[in-house]
Amino acid sequence: MFLWKTWKTLSDAGVMGINRRNADYVLKYNKRNLYPIVDDKILTKERAIAVGIDVPELYGVIETEKDIDLFDAIVEKHRDFVIKPAQGAGGDGIIVIADRFEGMFKTVSGKIISRDEIGHHISSILSGLYSLGGHRDRVLIEYRVSPDPLFKSISYEGVPDIRIILLMGYPVMGMVRLPTRQSGGKANLHQGAIGVGVDLATGKTLKGTWLNKKIAKHPDTTNQVDGVQLPDWDGFMNLAASCYELSGLGYIGVDLVLDEEKGPLILELNARPGLNIQIANDAGLTTRCHMVERHLAALKKTGRTESVADRVAYAQKHFGQPVSRTETPAEEPGTAA
Amino acid sequence: MQSINLHLKVLIAILVSLGLAITAYQIYVLDIPVTQDETDDIWSLDARLEFQAVAGTPVKAQMFIPPLDQNYISLNESFISNNYGVSINQTDGNRRVTWSARRASGNQSLYYRLVLTQRYSPEAIEDPAPAPRQPIELEGAEEVAADALIRPIRQTSADIETFVSEAIRRVNDITDDNVKLLLGEDTSPLGKARVLDVLLSNARIPLELVHTVRLESTPNQEPELWLRSHNGERWLYFHPETGQQGIPENRLVWWSGNAPLYNLEGGRQGRVTITLNNSEMNALRLAEMTTENTSSALLEYSLYGLPLHAQQVYRVMIMIPIGVLVILILRNIIGIQTLGTFTPVLISLAFRETDIGWGIVLFTLITALGLSLRSYLEHLKLQMLPRLSVVLTFVVVIIAGITLLGHKLGMEKALSVSLFPMVILTMTIERLSITWEERGGGHSFKVALGTLFAATLAHLLMSVPELAYFVFTFPAVLLILVGFMLAMGRYRGYRLTELVRFKALMTKG
Repeated sequence: MFLWKTWKTLSDAGVMGINRRNADYVLKYNKRNLYPIVDDKILTKERAIAVGIDVPELYGVIETEKDIDLFDAIVEKHRDFVIKPAQGAGGDGIIVIADRFEGMFKTVSGKIISRDEIGHHISSILSGLYSLGGHRDRVLIEYRVSPDPLFKSISYEGVPDIRIILLMGYPVMGMVRLPTRQSGGKANLHQGAIGVGVDLATGKTLKGTWLNKKIAKHPDTTNQVDGVQLPDWDGFMNLAASCYELSGLGYIGVDLVLDEEKGPLILELNARPGLNIQIANDAGLTTRCHMVERHLAALKKTGRTESVADRVAYAQKHFGQPVSRTETPAEEPGTAA
Repeated sequence: MQSINLHLKVLIAILVSLGLAITAYQIYVLDIPVTQDETDDIWSLDARLEFQAVAGTPVKAQMFIPPLDQNYISLNESFISNNYGVSINQTDGNRRVTWSARRASGNQSLYYRLVLTQRYSPEAIEDPAPAPRQPIELEGAEEVAADALIRPIRQTSADIETFVSEAIRRVNDITDDNVKLLLGEDTSPLGKARVLDVLLSNARIPLELVHTVRLESTPNQEPELWLRSHNGERWLYFHPETGQQGIPENRLVWWSGNAPLYNLEGGRQGRVTITLNNSEMNALRLAEMTTENTSSALLEYSLYGLPLHAQQVYRVMIMIPIGVLVILILRNIIGIQTLGTFTPVLISLAFRETDIGWGIVLFTLITALGLSLRSYLEHLKLQMLPRLSVVLTFVVVIIAGITLLGHKLGMEKALSVSLFPMVILTMTIERLSITWEERGGGHSFKVALGTLFAATLAHLLMSVPELAYFVFTFPAVLLILVGFMLAMGRYRGYRLTELVRFKALMTKG
């Protein structure tokens, strides 16, 4: 039967489904009480700064309706900035101001909005419109990342970001998320952005996925998306891998950006990273996660733990392309339970 | 992880086997009907004793009544008689009612009524074996005739069973001179039984006369005579004329022995009319009725023990897990997106009150109107809370409007929207609005459709009467459900929609 055949093929390829992700990874490795650290972007940022991880600079926080008056003081010194709900998900509620115009604000897409409209938006965020479960929220105003010109050729407006999935601090899969016209400049796959796989070893882009399909060209620019070398790849990997210590969560998706001046920065962490990254990489997450789990079990026997650099090295050794290299290496003792 | 898995497996095994065991116990041991429509036969037996009282003498009427320890259960037994004292006594395994009155005159009617059923009866208790008996003394020609009959019977029989059969066969051959002599004038079944009694007593074989009634709807039934003999292990029943062995299922033993059905002192022209009536009764109601008469409190601790109004509530409530199960399967195995986890179940409960077709129309209509108002309000740049408040108030107004319109148009269905569905609807619209704000119209449409589908499916399943009855009567089924849900908690396989979603990964290269 068709369904059974598909099932078998996906299962053989080690493709992870939502049920497995929830049961075997999210539930198993992520302690519920640690969720606020990743769900609240202000907390994430504070933790990151405390351990010396690069994040976009925080200009200010608005917590109450009264504080909306502070907005002008906060952005006084900055021509461009980003307004974000602290607990927002999926990029909702984010306004990116690129410039000022006659006492008004100009978004990246060129739309002019007034100070009043911004006040209304901030108020909406505070009342919990964009937060998970409709709780009251806080607003953060932060440095606007200007994407490295490198992405110009394969991106449309917006800021591309890099998503790396970590299991117990080991990067297992990565992709670049490129905004499209359809996604409205947002880097979210479910809104129509494209995801392009990244070779963890080299930082070279692979083919991509767009609306659950495999693609090789950007739908807006029609440029090839594969074969682009991301700069400072080791920097990205090290930055991402260190987010394990930062959050304490075992299975997370780390979103990073490459700023023109400041290099790789951590944008946010996600405790339930999506699964489309598998289509972008044409590889299964389960296969890779099982390898890391076996490696961890082996380490545990010898009583060793690995540093960030070791973990990155492991990932680069085993999860680079071509896929054949990801086969279980000979030095791995203690096979699956 | 290993130990947790084992723990879970053991837990599931315990829950499922417990659920199965309790349900099986209820069905097979307590004999609770599996479907609601199951009915059982109920027999009501009326015996009317009529006679002319002799003026000036006290009246004492005695009549045998069926013993209650048979294969049947009596639901009701009553004695109806004006100005008569009633007493019941047990003699030699028979029950006998005695009506007595100091004085009576004219036509007298005494009634006895027994309502019985076969279901739920405890295991039938075999009557004890009879004591060995002395041969009935015979003299002269009768003795010779009896001997002449017994001898060939003894030769052609092997045991008690065949002996009795053979004896019956011979006694029924009234051309035989010996039989003629013993029977005399009386060739009725009773006469033949009397002769058989004589013959068998001389062969030292126990024999009893049993008088039975047929459980058939017949007026004026005559008690039917059967014979029974004990072979040392159990009673064997014989028909005194045909020699047929084994009493048919529908015969109820009334009394045994040679005594007549009734005897009368102080009365004459006695006559007994026996009428049997058959009716069917819902098996479950019957079970409830019989609990009072049997020691097993089979329904005492079930939900049927609750007061009726509470039962009504639980009938609905106990189906909620079934609805939840539907949502669980739709979400985790199929992969359909719904608004929250339990909202669909609540909507399906609301459908109970509005009825499904109308419910879907109402849901679609009101949600669509509510959401369009929401999108209009978006232009006004209102804060979220006031905006939602306006939407919810609007929903109430729409519902009231629809109800009013429906009433004017004579559509009674429109009046069925009560508070509960209204609350559910407004909640749904609130959540849909939020989804719309957060994820956009397309997504909220998809979610709304998934919710409607899940709710409809859950409702259809929850309102299957057989299922509702089954779960209410056998609540242990819920343990099996919990077992399944626990197993689902460890389900790691793909959702069906993921097979489509990841289809791109099928093609290599």
